[in-house]
Amino acid sequence: MLTNVLIGGKAGQGPNVLANIISEILVKTGYYVFLSREYESVIRGGHNYNILTFSDTKVYSNENKIDILICLDDNTELVHKSKIRKETLVLRNKDNKENIYFAGKLLKILGFDFKFLEIEIKKLRNFDANLKNAKEGYESENSKFNLKTSKNKTNYFMNGAQGVKEGALKGGMDVYFAYPMTPATSLLSELAEKQVENNILTLELENEIAVFNAAIGSAITGAKSMVGTSGGGFDLMTEALSLAGIGEIPVVAYLAQRPGPATGVATKTAQGDLNIALYSGHGEFSRVVVAPGDPIESAELTSALFYLSQKFKIPCLILSDKQLAESFYTLNGKANIVKSEKLTSLKRYNSYEHLDSGEATEDTAIVEKNVERRLMKANEIKREVEKLETCKVYGKGKTLIVGWGSTKGAIFDAIQGLDARFLQVLYLEPFSDKIVAELKKADNIIVVENNATAQLANLITAKTGIFIKNKILKYNGLPFYSDELKEEIKKRMK
Amino acid sequence: MENLNTMIKPTWCPGCFNFQILTGVKNVVFNELNSGKKRDEFAIVSGIGCHAKIFDYLNINGINTLHGRVLPTCFGIKIGNPNLKVIGFSGDGDAYAEGMEHLVHMARYNVDMKYIIHDNQVFALTTGQSTPTTEIGFKDKTNPLGAKLNPLNPIKLMLSLNVGFVARVFADVKSVEDVLKEALKYKGFAFIEVIQPCLIFHQDTGFKERIYSLQEAKHDKTNITEALKKAEEFDYNDSKSKIPTGIFYQKEREIFEDKFEQLKKLKDKKMSWKDIKR
Repeated sequence: MLTNVLIGGKAGQGPNVLANIISEILVKTGYYVFLSREYESVIRGGHNYNILTFSDTKVYSNENKIDILICLDDNTELVHKSKIRKETLVLRNKDNKENIYFAGKLLKILGFDFKFLEIEIKKLRNFDANLKNAKEGYESENSKFNLKTSKNKTNYFMNGAQGVKEGALKGGMDVYFAYPMTPATSLLSELAEKQVENNILTLELENEIAVFNAAIGSAITGAKSMVGTSGGGFDLMTEALSLAGIGEIPVVAYLAQRPGPATGVATKTAQGDLNIALYSGHGEFSRVVVAPGDPIESAELTSALFYLSQKFKIPCLILSDKQLAESFYTLNGKANIVKSEKLTSLKRYNSYEHLDSGEATEDTAIVEKNVERRLMKANEIKREVEKLETCKVYGKGKTLIVGWGSTKGAIFDAIQGLDARFLQVLYLEPFSDKIVAELKKADNIIVVENNATAQLANLITAKTGIFIKNKILKYNGLPFYSDELKEEIKKRMK
Repeated sequence: MENLNTMIKPTWCPGCFNFQILTGVKNVVFNELNSGKKRDEFAIVSGIGCHAKIFDYLNINGINTLHGRVLPTCFGIKIGNPNLKVIGFSGDGDAYAEGMEHLVHMARYNVDMKYIIHDNQVFALTTGQSTPTTEIGFKDKTNPLGAKLNPLNPIKLMLSLNVGFVARVFADVKSVEDVLKEALKYKGFAFIEVIQPCLIFHQDTGFKERIYSLQEAKHDKTNITEALKKAEEFDYNDSKSKIPTGIFYQKEREIFEDKFEQLKKLKDKKMSWKDIKR
């Protein structure tokens, strides 16, 4: 019964609010919902839309085909014309009604009791007007789905940024520095909201250069320090990332990707920054790079990075993207949080190659020894990381699909019913032996990435010598949809 | 007795005015230690350039950080532990070229820290290029046609940004000592510009003969209009005018650390984030 609802309108018309209300009701009544949000760099006007996919079984992505299309403005139907099929139910806004009116309509179409909507409307402003609107919409339709409701007590609805927030708070973060940049800003807002209650501090500084350098300052006093940005901002941080390398200073960085180069497509999604996460910063030093695929993994891996960065005194990076950070997932169960101590103390640090006591040196023997010591750490880090969950394998089929980060949801949904299994890489650096073993025993590998150059496939080749010919790449700013991905995988299966 | 020396032999040129700054700072910190302060209550940060070597010669916790990033690093240290007494050191290249973006904002933040700029009007460690405070006409290998731009007047800039402690001294032990002592008493961002010739790359234009003391001249340091007038007397370009030194302006305003409940709590309990168990 997988159903896709696309809700579109102008920025300011509130398609997002409408989508959230219906999602909340569906999750509460026992359904699985995956809700994504597409918007433009426009504050009022333009075209924004949400795709709400729901099912009575697990679902972690949207499909390309649309079952219900809600057009808050005329433009929505034009933009999404190609997705409309004979069976698609199209709701148009001839009388210029508000989003809440359509929430009423949709609720009735799905077959829910009105009381569920009333509860949600209470959370909004203008209760009376909204209630009247919603009722009017509700009464204008007939139920078409007759969805049954069951009491769900354990499923919850969460996005990737909220997952990182949970991991940061439970992982013991003290201070978070950032400069606003989509799609990383949502984490800053999430953390800022209850900072006093949580006894953490979030600060917005003049630019990303100040952000990372301030994090270095607070980190050397022993505070668990974190920064967040997207690709362009991360570029500005990389000089200081290199300082964290030579200074052996623990900073956790959240890198939420969007399409580049440069300003790229500011409000869309991409996985184009794996290379900079792995290789940015001049000189040679150790780091850890992780890529969660859902909000629970976001929490788990973020907490693990606080542990690893403190233990090994290294910079650590969480790769996310707009799709993961801003999409809502229906989840169950708790994140396995890694707790850690604060192991850094104020002493004498240096950006120059330095003596143990902190003073700069050009002594070639010491330089060589320091370089080797810092790189030797990579072995210890790898040993430690091997104890953690570095990858996951889903399914038992013959073809091996490989992916990382936010594509997890679409791949997981796409392989259902196929003779394929899915290897999800969680730790990209260090590169685990378990991943190598999985790759070596596969005879048909397909890599799926939201970028144009298959950066994971290239990493795999570099680490294992395995060349992956089958690549499914998408780089138009949109995430993978499970139905289109399934077709692409089928074409490449032996 | 505490010793602030490190094992490193200074590599500044013989007679370099940076020795004067080092001794002045050392004397002040030494006095603080003698009056009961602990060495680990202090943190120092230097950037990149000749000035930055001061980190190697001063055995106090902190970091010799990246070029231009002294201020955000000091800021971060204060955020990490607002109880620390933080002193930042920069050269004119570090502060006014590479680090200008931070200087302007640091003036807004008003964190309680002291900032000493070793201004010799030249990039010395890279063998003598012009900086934002170099005078027009200055020639070097990379500027064979002579520097063409008007120099920046850092004092005027700081005053215009409402910085609550703005001073300039000549690089001699006593002046550095006196002004840093005052700055440490001041609660907030204290800006101290130390003018010095570079013996190798930027000749002395007779600083010693040209300077006069604002305090001896009965300058009213609470008067911003007067301060701005005094700042105009030397524009970093001409080699003849008198150069006022001392405190141009002093006025306390609310510091950054007091604006955030979380930091205030740390200050009140004399704690850092490291002490917070989660």
